[in-house]
Amino acid sequence: MLAVIIVRDGQLPAGADETISECDGRGVLVGSGTRSAADQLHGVARELTTIEVDGFGPGGWAEALAAHLVDEPILVLPASPDGRDLAPRLAARLQRPLYALAMGVSPSKVDLIRGGGAELHSRKPASAFVATLQPGVRGVDRVEGTTTVRNVTAVVASRNDATVEQLLPPDAATIDLSEALRIVAGGAGLDNPRRFEQLVALGALLGASVGATRVVTDRGWVGHERQIGTTGVIVDPRLYIALGISGAVQHTTGLGQPDHIISVNTDPHCPMMQLADLAVIADANEVLDELLEQLPQRTGAGDD
Amino acid sequence: MTDTDYDVVIVGAGPAGSCAAIEAARAGLRTLLLERGPFAGSKNMYGGVVYPRILDDLIPEWWQQAPIQRWVTRRSTMILTDNQSLSVDFRNDAWAAPPYNGATAYRPEFDRWLADHAVAAGATLLCDTTVTGLLRDTSRRSGGRVTGVRTDRPDGDVTASVVIACDGVNSFVAKEAGLYGTPNAKNFTLGVKETLSLPKQVIDERFGVRGREGVDIEIIGCTGGVNGGGFVYTNLETIAVGVVLKLTKLAAQKTRPEEIIAAMKRHSAIAPLVEGGELHEYSAHLIPEAGLSMMPEMTGNGLLVAGDAAALCLAAGIWLEGVNFAIASGMYAGQTAVEAIADGDVSQRGLGGYARRLSDTFVLRDHRKLRRAPQLVLSDRVQHLYPSMITGIAERMFRVDNPLAKPGLRRIFHEERKRAGVHLRGLVRDGHDAFRSFG
Amino acid sequence: MIAVCIKWIGDAAVSGVSAADEAAVELALRHGESSSSSVIAVTVGGPAADRCLRDALACGVKTAVRVDASFEMDSAAVAAALSPVVAHSAAVWCGDYSADRGSGSVPAFLAAMLDRQQALGVVGVDFIDPLRVTRRLDGGRREVLRVTGPSVLSVEGSVARLRRASVRAAVAAQTAELLPYGTAPVSTRSGSGVMSGVTVRPYRPRARVLAAPAGATALDRLRALTDASAASQPGETVEASPPDAARRIIEVLDHWGYLAD
Ligand SMILES: Cc1cc2nc3c(=O)[nH]c(=O)nc-3n(C[C@H](O)[C@H](O)[C@H](O)COP(=O)(O)OP(=O)(O)OC[C@H]3O[C@@H](n4cnc5c(N)ncnc54)[C@H](O)[C@@H]3O)c2cc1C
Ligand SMILES: Cc1cc2nc3c(=O)[nH]c(=O)nc-3n(C[C@H](O)[C@H](O)[C@H](O)COP(=O)(O)OP(=O)(O)OC[C@H]3O[C@@H](n4cnc5c(N)ncnc54)[C@H](O)[C@@H]3O)c2cc1C
Ligand SMILES: Nc1ncnc2c1ncn2[C@@H]1O[C@H](COP(=O)(O)O)[C@@H](O)[C@H]1O
Repeated sequence: MLAVIIVRDGQLPAGADETISECDGRGVLVGSGTRSAADQLHGVARELTTIEVDGFGPGGWAEALAAHLVDEPILVLPASPDGRDLAPRLAARLQRPLYALAMGVSPSKVDLIRGGGAELHSRKPASAFVATLQPGVRGVDRVEGTTTVRNVTAVVASRNDATVEQLLPPDAATIDLSEALRIVAGGAGLDNPRRFEQLVALGALLGASVGATRVVTDRGWVGHERQIGTTGVIVDPRLYIALGISGAVQHTTGLGQPDHIISVNTDPHCPMMQLADLAVIADANEVLDELLEQLPQRTGAGDD
Repeated sequence: MTDTDYDVVIVGAGPAGSCAAIEAARAGLRTLLLERGPFAGSKNMYGGVVYPRILDDLIPEWWQQAPIQRWVTRRSTMILTDNQSLSVDFRNDAWAAPPYNGATAYRPEFDRWLADHAVAAGATLLCDTTVTGLLRDTSRRSGGRVTGVRTDRPDGDVTASVVIACDGVNSFVAKEAGLYGTPNAKNFTLGVKETLSLPKQVIDERFGVRGREGVDIEIIGCTGGVNGGGFVYTNLETIAVGVVLKLTKLAAQKTRPEEIIAAMKRHSAIAPLVEGGELHEYSAHLIPEAGLSMMPEMTGNGLLVAGDAAALCLAAGIWLEGVNFAIASGMYAGQTAVEAIADGDVSQRGLGGYARRLSDTFVLRDHRKLRRAPQLVLSDRVQHLYPSMITGIAERMFRVDNPLAKPGLRRIFHEERKRAGVHLRGLVRDGHDAFRSFG
Repeated sequence: MIAVCIKWIGDAAVSGVSAADEAAVELALRHGESSSSSVIAVTVGGPAADRCLRDALACGVKTAVRVDASFEMDSAAVAAALSPVVAHSAAVWCGDYSADRGSGSVPAFLAAMLDRQQALGVVGVDFIDPLRVTRRLDGGRREVLRVTGPSVLSVEGSVARLRRASVRAAVAAQTAELLPYGTAPVSTRSGSGVMSGVTVRPYRPRARVLAAPAGATALDRLRALTDASAASQPGETVEASPPDAARRIIEVLDHWGYLAD
């Protein structure tokens, strides 16, 4: 098994280290700044191959990489934006099946995350395949000793790919979220868009930023920049309050490691309730109303 | 009247709406059926016990095709106290064969099936469309006749000769039309239901049924301080456990419906039936309870009201029949619209046939008959005193406390009545009411 | 011609299309308007999927095609079934992942098969020629792509709300004619095309080898790994009325010291 990691300006994608661990410390780093990226993988990778190319283009890269990877039966990419871009192109080019969004990959079995994080589909894989690994679910194996780094060159024959016009830093509107130490977040359990105005009010009382799940941003109830999770903003707060959030893996893997999690949900068995330090079985909407009732007095009283 | 978009616009694709649409469309009327949910039945309670005999004329041999879970061949009524239960259990094998009696069904499937018949009959079903207002002819001579509906879609106005409101309990349309007084919490009960998954053979064993046979259990004395009743019935691979609760009491008691269901499920008489069931779905819904006393004017100028929208749900306390009343009233509304449009008079007078149809059939007869039932069944006496008296009597009858000799039934009755604090006069009056209602 | 690919999720409980697919339909329509070309909607699925095509027609899509396939196929097979229908389109709009399968890979396979430029996970569009789109990258970063020539684009649900169809359009669409496009190639029924030997179970998190260290520098990562507070102590579960629930939450927040400041 071999991890294929796309590097941009020396920056590793989410789940790079886990993907390499899943492949027993073997990986290729493709892109710009692969050398400095390799340095960040000491203690994680055993043998790395770096391929320095720039201007990410899934079509061209799949073509160029195919030559180097044909003899590797199992290729695993992190299910990061770039990984999800390239993996299908590689699979198509190498004419192998793609097992996307896996929780675990081995030559004999792949566990795929399906149904919005609610199900696991296990399959016996073909002898040669390409897979993408969901970041944040595996963790990393520490390896002793040094990492052997080998450099090979590949030529990307210009191919039919979109051109990158500019790289935007994190949306200003998300900075507060990605750096917030306290976050109150709402999910599909909240019954209407106005609930998120209430969340903002609650956030103000607690000095917290407001986040949401994909289901909510998809509904347009709040901007996509508020979406917490693997395809949204990765956060790392100390306090996380989840109202009506099931805790699907793509959400929780964007959560970092909060010291304290409070979850309000009508379903005591959902993952977010399992994660919570305080799991409250109740209607999140009513609890939200109540918190806005009670907190002002409380915080007022708390000053002395 | 041909300058309208449709002859008939029906609001709500529940049983009432679909059956109204079937009648109208079969008579060749241009019929539009509007549903706010993504499909017919999507907004409806997950399951229920339905009595579809009324469909015999509308859909002959309906049982061949209706999406039925189980045919109810066993009905029991249970009286519970904290640690006792008394059941009256009736089984009828004949109910396992055509023309059948009651059946359990998943409402989304059942409602969808009826709506499909409406479409097959030529009606147009438009989902994801919410009616937000009524169109009226403001000219004086028309007397403010309803001429169509406004929907939440762009260019959402739809004109029609007759509008039939089948939009369910708390009907928005009927209120818009001013046919309702302001709703009074006293007139409603809250129905709350859990659907629990269990393997078919487990259900068959626990409830003593085979194949497609099913059970329907009504329960009194299982709702703690809140007046109401409970029910348990079997689908093919799920069972429904629920309670019907008096809203006013619920509010007063500050207890949550879930807690009441939970307590009922823990009762030694219920637990063995529901144990190990995995929660599949939880739903809650208002039920028009007060029957006749809360029914709106059902005929307006250019407007008819059917089903729950007309409070036609027969909720004699815990015995819930609504679907059959919705189907019947929907049919009659449809027939009336056809008649009125043919006669070219869709005014309140022209639509008079509806009221006639309702009162000549079980729809209003049953309601008149069971007029007192709800108050009776939900009365504090029936709810809190009688159960302990009745189970007390049963216990004394079955208990053998030798060396004492068996007491006579009259004595037992006397003592238990006293113990339970039941006054003879009230008991006689209730007995009389009960006889007038159910007898 | 502009194409949009819609997936109908068919199971009785949750049926419909994903928010992402609805957004795709809306953007396809806008793209069609801005480039004054007509829009074709395609779905691969059973007869039930006609519903999503009719909804699309109601909203202004000109032609609707269903490739009949009443069996579960993998992404490559779906793309293979879609590609002949959309081969001549100037752009193919997709959702960025379907609600059930959620691999997000059909669009990429489509791009590979048609040898087109792709832009996946789009969160912003500028309808100029050539097309300019914004897509998410890791860590909240985004990139602006210039997409030239025939392309495949997949969008997040948050990008656009699908317009509501008028009553008349919605009614008309119910009886509008759908172009049947035959059945998904038999080849995809066999071999790797069809989902086979899949066992489904509820999601259970994988035992993590070690907390994946968060933080940029080695030092941060070390700290993250050795941070005692990160170790989660067994949590408290309470079932309470909303007022009591709120009261308990406030107590706990206070106890944890979040109300001190
Ligand atoms: C490739 C891919 C990437 C994804 N990326 C992301 C991502 O970055 N971020 C993200 O968040 N998701 C992401 N998702 C979606 C994710 O899989 C889940 O669908 C989503 O996180 C679920 O959001 P939710 O918890 O709000 O909704 P649901 O899963 O529907 O959960 C709603 C919860 O609310 C509870 N509830 C209902 N009513 C009430 C009430 N009255 N009171 C209290 N609780 C109530 C329910 O019990 C349930 O637990 C991604 C999916 C895929 C396939
Ligand atoms: C807990 C519970 C248990 C029950 N059990 C039983 C039982 O066992 N047996 C039985 O026979 N009956 C039972 N009933 C009663 C039964 O559900 C109703 O009597 C029956 O559904 C009435 O049918 P209907 O067509 O009048 O209204 P509904 O079935 O409520 O249909 C109304 C329809 O109108 C739609 N609608 C509402 N407003 C609008 C609008 N503005 N625009 C467009 N569409 C709109 C709704 O989405 C809905 O689809 C039960 C009810 C409850 C709450
Ligand atoms: N059966 C299908 N028919 C039409 N389009 C599809 C189908 N499956 C997937 N798609 C498109 O591909 C996108 C991503 O789906 P997926 O790759 O399954 O996550 C969806 O949002 C659709 O736009």
